[in-house]
Parts: sequence; C-alpha cells; structure tokens
Amino acid sequence: MLSPYRVLDLTTERGLLCGQILADLGADVVKVEPPGGSPARCLGPFLGDEPHPDRSLVWWAYNRNKRGITLDLERAEGQAILRRLAERADFLIESDAPGALAGRGLGPADLAAVNPRLIYVSISPFGQTGPKAGYAASDLTVMAASGPLFMAGDADRPPLRLSVPQAFLHASAEAAAAALIALHERHRSGLGQHVDVSAQQAATLATQSGSLAGAVGWIETGRVAGGASVGPITLRFVFPARDGHVSITLIFGASAGRFTRRLMEWVHEEGCCDTATRDKDWDHYFELLFSGQEPFAELDRVKQAVANFTSAKTKAELLAAALARGLLIAPVATVAEVVESEQLAARGYWQAVEHPELGRTFRYPGPFARPSAMRLVYRRRPPLVGEHNREIYAAELGIAESVLARLRTKGVI
Amino acid sequence: MADERPLADVKVVDLMWVVAGPAATRVLADYGATIVRVESARRPDACRTLAPFLTLPPDPEDSVLFHNMNAGKLMLALDLATPEGRAVALDLVRWADVVAESFSPKAMHAWGLDYESLRAVKPDLIMLSTCLMGQSGPLASLAGFGNLAAAITGFTHLCGWPDRPPAGPFGAYTDYIVPRYNAAVVLAALDHRRRTGEGQFIDLAQAEAALHFLAPAALDYTVNGRVQAACGNRDPEAAPHGVYPAAGDDRWIAIAVHDDAQFAALCDVIERPDLATDPRFATRAARLAHQDALDAHVTAWARQRDAHDAERALQARGVPASAVQNSRDLLADPQLAERGHFVRLTHPTRGTTTVEGSRFRLSRTPARMESAAPTLGRDTQYVLRTLLGYSEERIAQLSAAGVLA
Repeated sequence: MLSPYRVLDLTTERGLLCGQILADLGADVVKVEPPGGSPARCLGPFLGDEPHPDRSLVWWAYNRNKRGITLDLERAEGQAILRRLAERADFLIESDAPGALAGRGLGPADLAAVNPRLIYVSISPFGQTGPKAGYAASDLTVMAASGPLFMAGDADRPPLRLSVPQAFLHASAEAAAAALIALHERHRSGLGQHVDVSAQQAATLATQSGSLAGAVGWIETGRVAGGASVGPITLRFVFPARDGHVSITLIFGASAGRFTRRLMEWVHEEGCCDTATRDKDWDHYFELLFSGQEPFAELDRVKQAVANFTSAKTKAELLAAALARGLLIAPVATVAEVVESEQLAARGYWQAVEHPELGRTFRYPGPFARPSAMRLVYRRRPPLVGEHNREIYAAELGIAESVLARLRTKGVI
Repeated sequence: MADERPLADVKVVDLMWVVAGPAATRVLADYGATIVRVESARRPDACRTLAPFLTLPPDPEDSVLFHNMNAGKLMLALDLATPEGRAVALDLVRWADVVAESFSPKAMHAWGLDYESLRAVKPDLIMLSTCLMGQSGPLASLAGFGNLAAAITGFTHLCGWPDRPPAGPFGAYTDYIVPRYNAAVVLAALDHRRRTGEGQFIDLAQAEAALHFLAPAALDYTVNGRVQAACGNRDPEAAPHGVYPAAGDDRWIAIAVHDDAQFAALCDVIERPDLATDPRFATRAARLAHQDALDAHVTAWARQRDAHDAERALQARGVPASAVQNSRDLLADPQLAERGHFVRLTHPTRGTTTVEGSRFRLSRTPARMESAAPTLGRDTQYVLRTLLGYSEERIAQLSAAGVLA
C-alpha cells in the first residue's frame, strides 16, 4: 500500500519497529547503518547463542522487508551521501540523542533545505525538547518515568517490568502512525515536517489512563499481581488452572455483567458456589460494592470460589468452555504455546523466511494485519551488514565503482 | 476558518469500544478527522465502568478513561440491532471514508453490516475490523478484553518474578499496543485509495499485531527452541538493573547500568568508588554474575534518598535512572509539562476533565484537543441533521421508534 514511498531508517534499536511497520505496508525502507553494522546487531538472543552481527534475533525481529547499507555519518563524505539519499526520500526516521544529527548538519532543518517534502521522524526517550530531553535512558527507566511500571507487579515487591523490553516499541509504533499523518498532510501542502515522538508519552498509554488519576483527584492505581484495583476494589484476573494459569475478565457492569453471570452459572452447576452467590446482581455489582451494600469480603469470597473451580480444570478445558459458553477466559500462554497455537496456525500466521546465507528457513511472526487490497508480504529477510551497498550506491545513486572502492577503503561505507 | 489539521478531510464511523479501537481514532481526531462514534444505551462502552473516575460512586459520564479515549469525537446514540438503526448506519457509511468496528466477528453480519453489505452502498469504503483473535480460525469468536489477549499472546507469562505466579503487565496490555497498528493501517489504506480509488477490508487480529512486541522472544523459540521466562526486573545485557526502594512509602527508583562508564559513574554517585575497582564488578559479564551483591549496595544507598533526588544525581553523571512515577509525579513532571501532556477540557456536564495530549508533535500542523469526550447521544441531532441531512420529521420518527438510544 505504501510502495511509492522511500524511507531512510537511521534508527538504533530504539526505532527499528517504525521502519518495519512502513516496510510491511509496502514502503521501500533502506536501513542506514554505521560501517560494521548497527549496534542493535549486538543485542541477544542470537541464533545458536553465538553473537554475530547477522544473527541477532532482535535485529531479525525488526528489520525484515528492509534493504541495508552502511554509511559513516561522522564524516563529511558520509554526510554528503546521506543528503543525496534524502533528496529522493519521503521519510527519514532516526532515534539518536536529540540534536545529535543536527550537529552533523543532518537535522530536520538541514534536510528540509535539501528536500522540503521530507518527513523527518525523530524517536527519543523524552522528546526533542524539555528538561529531560538529554536524559540517559533505558527501557526500564522510561517505563518508570511514564507510569506503567508503578502499577505492575506484586504489592509486596518493587514495581515490575515486562521481561521483554517494550518502551521504545510503543514509541516506534506510535511514530509509524504519526509519520503517515504527516504524509496525509503532505498531499495537501506539498511539504514535509518534523515528527517528534516521545517514548515517555507513548508509554503512558499503557497506564489505561491511570496517568490521569492525579489530575482529576482519583486514587493512585495500586499494584495487584494478576489483577487490578478500581479505587478501593481489588479485581483478580489471573487464576490457577490444573496445568498453569488462565486469565479471566472477572468484571461487572451493564456490558460485562452477563459474562460474569454465565461464569458463575457454570461454577454453580459444578457445585463450587451456592445459588445466592450465582445470582448476585453482576450488572450492578460495582455500584453495590462502591455503596457499601456489598462488603468487599464478599467479592473476595467470589474470587476464591472461582479460583477453587478453575484450579481443578486444565487451560484447554477452560478455553473450550469460554468458546462454548461465551465466557471471558484465555490461557496464560508460554511463548511455546503461543507459537504452537492452533488459532495462529489456522490463520497461517507464522511466515517462513528464508536465510540463504545460512541455508535455513525460520518462522517469523506474521503480518500485523490483513488488508484485502494488498497482503502484507515478507519480501526480504533482514539485511546483512552492507548487503545493498552496491545496489543503492552504484545502481541508484550512480556513484562510480572507483569512487565506491575509495569510500570503502576509507571506511565511509 | 477551515481546519488546517492534517486529517481535516477524513471521516470515520467508529463502532469500536473500550481502548484498542477508540485510542486509535482519538489520535485521528487530534489531527482533525471527524469521528462519529456510535453507542447505544443498551450496550454502553465498558470504558464507562473503568477508572479513573471524577466522582465516587461513579456515574457512566464520570470515567476519565472514557474521556481520554474519546475527546474530540462526536457521539451518535443508535441501536444497530434494529432495521431502522441499520438504515441510519448505512447512511453514515455513505458519508464516511472509513468504518472501524471491534465487535466479535458475527455481530456485524447479524446486523447486516458486514463489509459486503457496506461496500454495496459505498464501493470505495475502507473497513477495519479489529477483534481479539481475527475474523477466522477456531478462536475467532473468543470475546474479550485486552487482558485476555495479553494472556493468550504470552505477555502475562513474561511479566513476573521467578518464584511467583505470573503477575502480568498492568491492565489490558494489548489494548495499549494495538491502537498504533489500527491507525497506521487505516492511514495506509487511505493513501492507497487516494492513488487507486480502491477501498478495502482490513482484518486486524489484536493478538497478531501485539505479538510483534514479543517478536524477539517468539524468534528465540522458533529459532533456538528456547522458552523465555519472566525474570523480574533483571536484564541479560545490564547490571545493576532493577527497581530499588527509595525513601518514603511505596517510592522507588529504576536504575539500568549498561556499560563500564555508567558503572563507574554509579559508584561515584553512591559514594562507593571502591566498587568500581572490585574485580567482581570489573566487567559487564562480572557484574551480571554478581547482581545480588550489587543490588544490595544500590539498595543501601537508594533507601536513604528521595527518588527524584536520586534520579537527578544519577542523571547528572549520565546513568539511566528514573523515579518510578505515579500519576501525581506525572502531573508534576516538568518534562510532561513542557510537552503539554495534560490538557484540561470543559466537560458538558461535569465542569472540567483532563485528558492526555498527543504523544508526538508535528512541527507544522500540531494536534488540537478542542472538545471533551461526548456524553451518550450528545451529537445525535448534529450528526443526523447536519452530516446526514435528515429532516426534523425523520429524526422525530426515529426517536419515537426508540432507535436513537
């Protein structure tokens, strides 16, 4: 869908996903790396646990459908080549420290002078301006600064992050949508602009608006492992199963109450709660709790009855019942269970991606969406270091072989 | 004056609810799109029962989550499950560029509002269907919220302490990932239509999109056969790396030390220069092997300090660190203030409310948050009369038939 557009992707591991979303949507994305390869190639895990720049699984995860070139942007000759590339690009995405590229004459204003249509996307921990713009950052510290960390984990332990880094993925995905808004605008004005994405702001979305509690005088969102708090009410979502855990949306109200009613009917059928417990007013149960008509201890008793019930069943039994009875239950799946899931297999989700350099084919997570007008296809495996140097420098920019050889010797490419 | 925002020409019928859908159309609204949300009092948005609230006990119009997800949108009260309601929906589709819905797959068919029916009245329509597991497959009909998608895609299992059951990330985690994919694919489809005249149907399974946030772990399994497990706050590439108690009740500081220079700076700040020369901590590999000892030293220092003071002291020396901020801290955060993150809006019945601003800036055509989220049915008259050109009689008939509720 985006095949007419060319993207220069200068990002480190903090922005790789943005270019990949555009590449999956069909854009021609050129990954620009320093000579020797991007530092993101040093991130594990690796194929066979052997550190190697072409075997980083973080690299593989976020660079398919891109071509790759190497270019030293610290040197004037490299900067000049980047300006030439920018002349014919629609987007440039970068995730350097704010101001770093401008310091090399490659900032938004510099490149707008070369190509006023260029959409220049900057992804950074805190945004390009402000008192924390220069902060050193890491996934953990950005999640701390933006709110989700405070709300996750066990009440008796420190706040907890996901064991797979997330903060810059939120920012990068946000950046892809932002870049396409700027593209839509360009059709009217003919002009590009600077898109400035803050990972801190992007990650506040993961607080489910708990970020606004202070602003409106609401109670802080406390940590409830496997659950959540709604003001004074503690909800539980993770329940034991015979072979692991399941997640149940055990909530109430005009829309969700019917699901809880059906669950309690099943719990009652199997003798795990009495009729009065089954027949509570689940549509108005929040109101009953908030008004004090229903003591919180009763909710605790309900949660315990559900836990006793689920702990005797397998995850598969509970999932089958969710489908048959219309319940809000799903297994807490391990990565292995996710990859082997029947649902994803039936949808043909996993994509076989051939790595000819290794003589092997690997299964990658599949397309993020299925648009009918153009399937999102995996056209290319992630590029090797400098794989498309010749194709782009010689064939597209028309740089003579002799000049290329000199640039290579000097370490510019 | 004409709206100069980027998406001022884009018209969306929003049949979505809760977060994964409405958060996407909220972004489009910030940048000028006209979004008509359709909601029926018979099936109100579950958001309305979710915190934070303006008051306690909460009224359905008091959910600040609902306010935040729906600022800048119009609201039509309409019962889609009636023939008259369907007729109004089809007129809306004729008006729209995009229809986005997040029901489970059978619902739109049951109402005669599936893509084929809608395309019959609007051939170049872009329709986004975004449900938990996608439009096909054995689990297609699995209803649910993002906490279920987070569980079934592996996020819940990958957030926890090694000695405890999975804690899971906060809330309905996939709902916080998917909006960006929803927005991006709709914008790409609009671009495609502009060039080709062609509309399309988009099936976006929330589980499938969200899985990209776990792609390295998924590949570790498909490539290496390894099943990654939750490891608390530890990191395979950095040590010390954790969340340490600070002075005060439930106050914490997050610190992540990635290299030798950051470690040397940390040792200075915590007034333990001896640790910098201790062979147990001389290299990153050594520090990773002796994390418990390191954590004890950092904890001893952090406990005595205000979390924000500790953050500033470490940042002054280039060590990644942040106080673990709660919502009061966010409100007082000078960085978020500089970015205009908190926006106060006049609420139709509640005085004022606060929403979050755009999470990014466009230098020439910035976002504008102008109106608070609509109350149920607030814009029914405007949508029917002004956008669809209905007569007073037609509106009165619909109202009498109970369709506009």
